[in-house]
Amino acid sequence: MLTALQRHLTSVFLKIFWRDRRSIFFSLFFPVIFMTVFSFANSGEQDPISVGIVNNSSSAVATDFADMLIANPLFDVTVGEEARLREELIAGDQTMVLVLPEDFDTNIGNTTSEINVVVDAAQVSQLGLIMPLLEQTLLSIEREFRDIEPMFSIAIEDVQARSQRYIDFLLPGLMAFTLMQLSIAGSGFNIVEYRRKGILKRLFVTPIEPRDFITAIVLARMAIVLVQLSVLIMFAVLLLDIRIVGNFFAYYLVVILGTIVFLCQGFCLGSLAKTQEAIGALGNIVIMPQIFLSGIFYPIESMPEWIQPVAHLLPLSFVSTGMREIANAGATLLEIYPSLIGIMVWFVISFVAATRLFLWKEVAN
Amino acid sequence: MPIIEVSDLAKQYPLPDNKSEKFFAVNGVSLAIEAGEIFGILGPNGAGKTTTLEMMEGLNDIDGGTALIDGISVNDNPYKVKEVIGVQLQANEYFDNINLEELLSLFAALYNNNADPIALLKKVQLEEKAKAKPNNLSGGQKQRFSIACALVNEPKVLFLDEPTTGLDPQAKRNLWDLVRKLNKAGMTIVLTTHNMEEAEELCDRIAIMDKGKIIAEGTPQELILEYAPEPPEAPLHGDLEDVFLVLTGHELRE
Ligand SMILES: Nc1ncnc2c1ncn2[C@@H]1O[C@H](COP(=O)(O)OP(=O)(O)OP(=O)(O)O)[C@@H](O)[C@H]1O
Ligand SMILES: [Mg+2]
Repeated sequence: MLTALQRHLTSVFLKIFWRDRRSIFFSLFFPVIFMTVFSFANSGEQDPISVGIVNNSSSAVATDFADMLIANPLFDVTVGEEARLREELIAGDQTMVLVLPEDFDTNIGNTTSEINVVVDAAQVSQLGLIMPLLEQTLLSIEREFRDIEPMFSIAIEDVQARSQRYIDFLLPGLMAFTLMQLSIAGSGFNIVEYRRKGILKRLFVTPIEPRDFITAIVLARMAIVLVQLSVLIMFAVLLLDIRIVGNFFAYYLVVILGTIVFLCQGFCLGSLAKTQEAIGALGNIVIMPQIFLSGIFYPIESMPEWIQPVAHLLPLSFVSTGMREIANAGATLLEIYPSLIGIMVWFVISFVAATRLFLWKEVAN
Repeated sequence: MPIIEVSDLAKQYPLPDNKSEKFFAVNGVSLAIEAGEIFGILGPNGAGKTTTLEMMEGLNDIDGGTALIDGISVNDNPYKVKEVIGVQLQANEYFDNINLEELLSLFAALYNNNADPIALLKKVQLEEKAKAKPNNLSGGQKQRFSIACALVNEPKVLFLDEPTTGLDPQAKRNLWDLVRKLNKAGMTIVLTTHNMEEAEELCDRIAIMDKGKIIAEGTPQELILEYAPEPPEAPLHGDLEDVFLVLTGHELRE
């Protein structure tokens, strides 16, 4: 597939890049710190929400209600006096206090009984999570009381061997993000640096064609990025106990394809930018939106509707989704074909753009 | 038939203070250089020497005119021309962290041949520096090394842009010897220089450029006879450079 010229050039560039070991490993510093911090910050299960209950009613229904909440692992319930619980709420020891009215049961079936929810304004962000659960609990009490069978029930079955921690969700995205950054910087900054030094011009004196030059740089840099990512993956698996459920080779294939795509994009940026400052700015324009829109830190599905179609089409989305499905759900290459197709399309676009934009005459002078 | 035929070559650049206006950096240059010649281009800074060379080398777009090297049109076939020429640029930088031997094998790769790096380094007397990095070379060594790089493809025509600028007299003479040796072996050489002695010593023919145009052309003798003012009655013997050389010797300094 590669010509002898491309192979020879690749090996020379590999040697050139590999000499710069200090920066190769220094650029891993940030991702390693990042991963470590995230894995420690999220190592525990989700803490239960502290809820205080003031039961002003002596009815069985009220006790039932309190017991149901106590039984729910999501809540850490304290039953007590209103005055004391309010104090605890202000001190931040309780997230909310529920006050069950005296007539908690007598009204059932006739009028609506009102539960007073006292919350600290600082904790309102938790309300969105708590309210549905409260309503759910109330609804099941009501059904019991009125003797209605629920029309629907949801049985949740855990298909994954072990519960997924946030860091497990995060890692493939973080890897994808890191490979994007290393790749774009790896080719883009190199080009600008070579241009500044006049090296590109010297190369342009020879009959080398842009296609061969780009291929050689991309392959050599890819090898370096793979070494860097392997160090990160080893670090994650061995020291942070992160599991890659799916096939390791499939995972690497996605990594390789993603790296090539971003290296070509780095080449495009390097051809457009004349200075290191310009490439820094251009790089941010490409990198920043993808950090937030490519489902690295939270799933794309949790973003505003209108932005989702765009977000799904970003190159980093395809790469991180593919990696995540393999790492977390054990998907096979066949199963992640939408991601693979997306990556291939981006590869073609990026490679063609790189060869079109990289004109010796303009880039070298 | 001349190995290099340039006619009416022109290059326009935007004016530095008014980007919408253009000026001719090279304005109708025509040259015919015979195979086996050492041809010198002289001229003050900004005359358009480098630009002219770069158009002939296929590094710069030709805005007007034609250039033919060894029968190949630079306008139509720049990549083909690059296979038969060797180029030393006015400013030379190389990748920092690989040594001379490796750099030469990189250039061999770029030309897709198997040139022997050590043999090339021997040609320019740098074989002892095979493992040195380009940044650790002296100015003269750097110039010789960039000539070695230019020889990787055994070119028919060698372009040297100010090869001796910044060199001490020993290094300069050493480089002249190298140029003569290459020329004896049959290579056509086109060089630019600001050093009149160099032009007189080394070049078979000279063109003098100013403001993008060639204002005089001929052998050094012809030009001196035609343009030089009469010498004073009792001329001095030699010049300061001779004094320097007598005092410091002809040995090449490393
Ligand atoms: N890329 C460029 N853009 C705009 N103007 C340029 C460019 N390159 C050269 N010039 C201008 O073209 C003119 C000729 O430049 P050139 O480098 O050919 O001169 P030169 O004869 O080689 O000078 P020197 O002896 O200093 O090397 C100069 O006025 C220079 O400022
Ligand atoms: Mg010049």
